[in-house]
Formats: sequence, structure tokens, C-alpha cells
Amino acid sequence: MGMSDARVSTAAAPGGWIAAAGLKRLASLKLTLVLLLLLGAGVIGHDPVTGGAAWLVAVPLLLGAVNLSAAVLTHPVFRQQTALLMFHVALLAIVVLVAAGRLTYLNGQLELAEGEVFKGELARSESGPWHRSLLERARFVNDGFTIRYEKGVRRAETRNTVRWLDDTGREQKGVIGDNEPLVRHGYRFYTSFNKGFAPVFIWHPAGGPPQRGSINLPSYPIHEYGQALEWTLPGTQIKLWTMLQFDEVLLDSDRVSQFRLPTRHTLVVRIGDARQELVPGERMVLPAGILVYERLSTWMGYTVFYDWTLPWLFVACLLAVASLAWHFWKKFAVQPWDR
Amino acid sequence: MATELQLLWLALTLYTLAGSTAIGATVLAKRPERVILAIILIGLFVHALSLGLRWERVGHGPFITMFEILSSNVWSLLLIFGVAYWRVPAVRPAAAVVMPVLFLMMAWLLVTSPAAGHYPPTYRTIWLYIHVLFGKVFLGSVLVAVGVAGVILLRHARFGVARLAQLPDDVRLENLAFRFMMLGFIFETLMLIAGAIWAQDAWGRYWAWDPLESWAFTTWLALALFVHLRITFKLRPLYSAAAIVAVFVLAFLTFFGVPFVATAPHKGAV
Repeated sequence: MGMSDARVSTAAAPGGWIAAAGLKRLASLKLTLVLLLLLGAGVIGHDPVTGGAAWLVAVPLLLGAVNLSAAVLTHPVFRQQTALLMFHVALLAIVVLVAAGRLTYLNGQLELAEGEVFKGELARSESGPWHRSLLERARFVNDGFTIRYEKGVRRAETRNTVRWLDDTGREQKGVIGDNEPLVRHGYRFYTSFNKGFAPVFIWHPAGGPPQRGSINLPSYPIHEYGQALEWTLPGTQIKLWTMLQFDEVLLDSDRVSQFRLPTRHTLVVRIGDARQELVPGERMVLPAGILVYERLSTWMGYTVFYDWTLPWLFVACLLAVASLAWHFWKKFAVQPWDR
Repeated sequence: MATELQLLWLALTLYTLAGSTAIGATVLAKRPERVILAIILIGLFVHALSLGLRWERVGHGPFITMFEILSSNVWSLLLIFGVAYWRVPAVRPAAAVVMPVLFLMMAWLLVTSPAAGHYPPTYRTIWLYIHVLFGKVFLGSVLVAVGVAGVILLRHARFGVARLAQLPDDVRLENLAFRFMMLGFIFETLMLIAGAIWAQDAWGRYWAWDPLESWAFTTWLALALFVHLRITFKLRPLYSAAAIVAVFVLAFLTFFGVPFVATAPHKGAV
């Protein structure tokens, strides 16, 4: 061995030793105990509603992942006990996948009138910083719904018929509802308790082509006595106040019933001091054009959720619990339980 | 409804008889184990009839009201304890510790309204049954561990020194309690996974940190903490037993406390 070789060797060994010692310190079981306590405190202390103080959970989780990685690398027990190693690696995978999911997720809400196509626009949404929206590919049509109510106006089954074009361009039809989302390009669409009536209008602007559209009145039956909405005619500054009026009881608290349109109704439309009651087919003449009330329809509120990690999380969770069971099975099989 | 309540009362009376016999036997240092097991089994059968009649009448399982949840848990906890009692003789003296816990639940059950509740549409899924089954095995396993841990604690008190002297030594009992805790750990993990799958389908999110989810996860962390404490400090049986009781208290409050004080969704009984 030459002099220069000897110098390299003595310089590298302490560095490696320091790194190994540092890794061992990071792998400390006492640190694990502290981090588990901190994580527990963070879970109770953070505010899940506003997302406030999320760092109380994120920081112990991150440190826990570092502690666990160091332990897997340095503790000989993980090389001797495969099931234990698999369990802890699966836990690490879960932490990594949850973090990846938070960076790329999407949560949103939308409303669609009967017959309306979802074109990728959401009423409200929140998403991870790395979410790349492909919502416009997840088009579908709301073909209407049925909802059964039990006595006491308690919502039972929701069945919403939807249509979409599959990847080959063929039309597909399905029914979604409780526990059954529509899954399109990784986006999961769920019906919600939010739904109601949607008056459909045709607006004939003076000198322009007619446009058909609908407005979504407040959710029914939650806002049973507030079926009114102010909206603006498209392409104008005209504000209309619209209220749905009917006398019959649609959802009877004394018996099982079903969400349905009223048999007879009127639509009160007010513009400034002018007030008119419309039934389907009637029109309202305005200086900017003619507004025809075509019919009453319904709308459904949906929530949409995207997280590409879901199937991988499922696999990691199964791996974790299977390896945990395997580990203890082997450990406890050595000696009978009744000894 | 009258028949199902009468059957429930009969079952609770039998459980009380079994528990009182177990406690009396411990005080007198006797072991009428077969008699206790027989009374528990008859009680379970009568209670199952009561639960079945109610299921038939209201059209859904015992998952909604406090009355249903307490009743079904008294049944499932006693069933799991009964199986352990039958298969693992060393568990039998734990009846004197386990039964008073169940007496508390039974007393609570008796002051709860038996009126039926609304069965939400999101509960019409197989995942409800899977989630609940795993949860019941989890709590039942931890209850058995608490019973055994209670024997260790009693032996360290003046009361149990002579009366429980004939049982296996503390190290063996602690090892047995640890096994049941780990069985609980596996089933709590399964319960959380099944709950997340159900939540994803029912509410469009697999985890939302609602109070019940948060406390259930905290209980999982407490179990993990217990395992690591035991490894790190080679806990003496007395301290291990105390830790087991602490985990059970947390699990019990999560099951029967949080769902009924939380105002957020996923209250367990909504």
C-alpha cells in the first residue's frame, strides 16, 4: 500500500463511521417513541375542518419516515425477520403514497341539470399543487335521478342515471348513487344530498339567436321554503328574481315518498317592480328580448374526487396488515396460547 | 318489541349471574369455571335471539342507535371473551376483571332508549359489516388482554396476592395479554382499512380526520407505542399491564365516547 493510498483510507473511514453512527442515532427506538407521541398529539391537535396546523401531523410523519428508514437500514432485526421488514416498508410506502396523493389530489363540487353535459367546470374545488386537470376528458350527462324518502322525510336510496362515451366512442349508460361513484379517467363522481328543481328557459334576445338554459334553485327539501333565486339574463345586466310556487306536499313525512316534480306549479318572475307568474310555455316580454319559461326540471349536485394513489394505497395497506399478521403468527406459533 | 326486550333482560340477568359468580369465586379463591362458561353461553344464545328479533323488526342490524351499539357490543365482547375463556384456561380468572367492565355497559344499555333510528343509505354496503366485524374482534381482543392485565395488577395489590396465587406467573400472563393485544392490533389495522374503503365509496374520501377517525388512529398509535415501549424498555409485567389498561381506556372512549359527542359527520350512529 503506498503513502497516498493510506491517506485516502484513513480519511474515508472516520467519515463513514460518523455517517453510520448518525444513521444509528436516527434509527433510535426512543426517538420512535417520542415521534409516536408527537404524532398522536398532532392528530388530536390539528384542525381538520380548516386544514389549520396540518404541520402538527405532517412533521412527525416526515420525521417518523426518516426514523423508520434509518431503522430498516441499520437494525439487524429487519434482516432476520422478513415479515417485520415487509410491515415497516409497507408503512413507509403508505406515508410516501399519502404525501404523493396530497400533492396531486382534487376535491370538487358541481351541479348538473337533467340532460346537461359535464364539461369539466367545477363550482368549487381544492387541489394539490401538482394536480394536472384532465377533467374535460371526464365528460358525462346527467339523465335524471330518483330518490326515495322514508317516513319523516328521511332520505333513502339515490339512483342517478348517467351517460358517457367510452374510449372507443361508444355510448355507455350507468346508475350511480349511494356507495357507487362514476369513475372516469381516475375522477370519481359521487351524488350528494344536494339536489333540487331547475326551471328551464329559452331566451330570445332582440336580434340574436335563442339560447336554452336553466337555473338551479336552492337545494330541496332542505330549503323547502326558500325556492327562490336571483340571476342575470345572459348577455345583459338584467337581474331576475325567480321563485317556484306550488301547493302540494311532495315529500310526506307520514309516509314513504319519492322526489318528484309538482303536478302544478307557477314560477314568479320579478324584474324591478314588474312581477309576472308563469306556467310552462308562457313568456315574458322584456325590452332586451323575450323570455320563455319552457318547463320545470331537476338538478343534481355532485362531488368529485381524484387521487391516483388509491389502488397503490390499498395494496400497501394489504401488504402491511398481511405481514403484521404473518410476523405475529410466526412469533406466537412457537408456544401454544394455553401454556 | 316486548319479547325482544324481555329476552335482553334475561340475557343481562344471566351475564350478571355469571359475572357475580366469577367475582365471588375470585374472592373465595374457588374456580367454578364450567358453570360460569355455561351461564355465559346461555346468555349469549338468549341475547342473540333478542338481537335477531330486533333486526327482523327494524329491518337493519344493530349499527345505528346507542341502544343497538351497546347491546351488540355487550354480545360480541362476551362472545370473544367466551371463546378465549373456553380455549385458553389461563384467561379464565380474568372474568372477575372483564365482567365489571361489561356491567358498566349493561347499566348504560338499560338507561338508553330502545327506539329505532334512521338507517342512512350509505350504510347499505357490505363494508359496514366488514368494518364492524373487525372493530368488534379488535375491542374484544383488547378486552381479554385487559382482563389478564387486571389479574397481574390485582396480584400486585394486597387483594390478589393469595387469591390469584395459583395462576401462571406474571411474565407468562403478560405474554398472554400481549398476544391478545397484538391480535387487537391486527384487527384494528383491518378495521381502519375497511373503514377507509367504505368512506371512499360512501362519502367520496377515504380519510377526513373526523373525530372518530382521528381517535381510532390515535388508538392505533397507542398500540404501536405500547409495542415499542415493551421492546425498548423491556417493561416489567406490572407496567405492561398498566399500559394495556391505558390503551383499552382509549379504545373504549373511541368506541363509545367520541361517536356520541362529535358533531361532525361519521358519528358512528348517524
